[in-house]
Amino acid sequence: MDQYQGKTAVILGGTSGIGLATAKMLVERGARVLVTGRSQAGLESTRAELGESALVVSSDAGSLKDIDALAERAKDAFGALDLLFLNAGAAHFAPFEQTTEAVYDEMFDVNTKGSFFTVQKLAPLINRGGAVVFTTAISNAKGMPMLAAAGATKAATRSFVRTFAAELLPQGIRVNAVSPGPIDTPNWGKAFPDKDVAAQLTGQLSDANPMKRLGASEEVAKAVLFLAFDATYTTGAEIPVDGGQSQL
Amino acid sequence: MTRYEGKKVVIIGGTSGIGLTTAKMLVEGGARVLVTGRSQAGLDSTQQELGQNGIAVSSDARSLTDIDALAARVMAEFASFDLLFVNAGFSMFAPLGNVDEASFDEMINLNAKGPFFAVQKLSPLISRGGSVVLTTSTANVKGMPMVAAYGGAKAALRSFARTFAAELLPAGIRVNAVSPGPTETPIIGKAFSDKAMADHLTGEMRQANPMKRFGTPEEVAKAVLFLAFDATFTTGFELPVDGGWSQL
Repeated sequence: MDQYQGKTAVILGGTSGIGLATAKMLVERGARVLVTGRSQAGLESTRAELGESALVVSSDAGSLKDIDALAERAKDAFGALDLLFLNAGAAHFAPFEQTTEAVYDEMFDVNTKGSFFTVQKLAPLINRGGAVVFTTAISNAKGMPMLAAAGATKAATRSFVRTFAAELLPQGIRVNAVSPGPIDTPNWGKAFPDKDVAAQLTGQLSDANPMKRLGASEEVAKAVLFLAFDATYTTGAEIPVDGGQSQL
Repeated sequence: MTRYEGKKVVIIGGTSGIGLTTAKMLVEGGARVLVTGRSQAGLDSTQQELGQNGIAVSSDARSLTDIDALAARVMAEFASFDLLFVNAGFSMFAPLGNVDEASFDEMINLNAKGPFFAVQKLSPLISRGGSVVLTTSTANVKGMPMVAAYGGAKAALRSFARTFAAELLPAGIRVNAVSPGPTETPIIGKAFSDKAMADHLTGEMRQANPMKRFGTPEEVAKAVLFLAFDATFTTGFELPVDGGWSQL
């Protein structure tokens, strides 16, 4: 398969879950990919998994300094880009009464401010006909307990998608989003180190979902690639990959 | 290409534009496709174009008698099938003051009542894991002059997508919609016999669209096939293929 031969992609948050699954599909079909992450272990395992067609870069998605450095790195490596996928995200589960300022700020810094400035700095590298895809979340459209701040950060990015789509249209760049519902990713284990708690929560999420299951990272990745390369008359839109939860 | 090998598809309104293009992509990918239409000339040319993996059937999408006959025919040809694409639709353009009861009924019957009963009669034949895709329209979410009844009917259809998705979920069938903006199809020529009027209107629609162009039937067809076969964790959703019109 060489469907994406000659294409270049930058994936913020590409060392696990949805980002890694997207990177793998791209590399398998001939693209060159730069992915970012923070944990040394994640960076190393991703390097091993993706092989030579991928650059794996340590970068904090909430740091403007790191974003500047990333833009330089992407320019050196690729010259120009076809896809920028903003998938880095922080989600802390807490009732809003117990959400501290530090946790609130961390989520807005990574999810909202980081993604804003990443597009600002990297969009100039994107080719005419290229695309930006954001990962939003179902919590942007549904009231979900314990996700007040996380949901609001994603609502802000949903809004960026529309405005960026309008501003980048003259350059021939489309901007869209995928909105995942509950997805089977390592994030659950990270958010809930206690295995029983994690299992109980993912069980509840499955039960609450119309399809009575969690989605797979690959199902989200397919939507990302559809938006990036096939949806040439669609911009400013958000595709839910949520088992119907936002619609039913 | 054998991407759709073994798949069986029914397309209501498949002898021109978006429906015909979707049928062609499916046949090229190895599927068997039954399409419906009304004009004998359209049915003949479609049968020739699709070849032996296509079946062009004369059927009026507004007629419950025809829908019953269609279900019997599909049962005889396919026994069960994988995708029902309900694409038949048409808009008359008239200011509110000029819409008489007959033309109002025509819009609602073709664009809402026909699709309702088509899904009612045909969904029992859809295999688990299969799906329904409905063609809605940007007119369902935007205030557009001269298409009040059509926009209302398409809004009804948009609503059906959500309710059908909920009702068909236990049968393992997903229901989604594509919402085309202005698309290069013969439908505009049909709505305006006066060519100067048609050219004037299409020029205005192009200018009003964020991408400053019409979409192609291929762009909509790709979205239909994505929803039908790849979007396995998405149901009840409407995907705009409208140059960003509904979002920007």
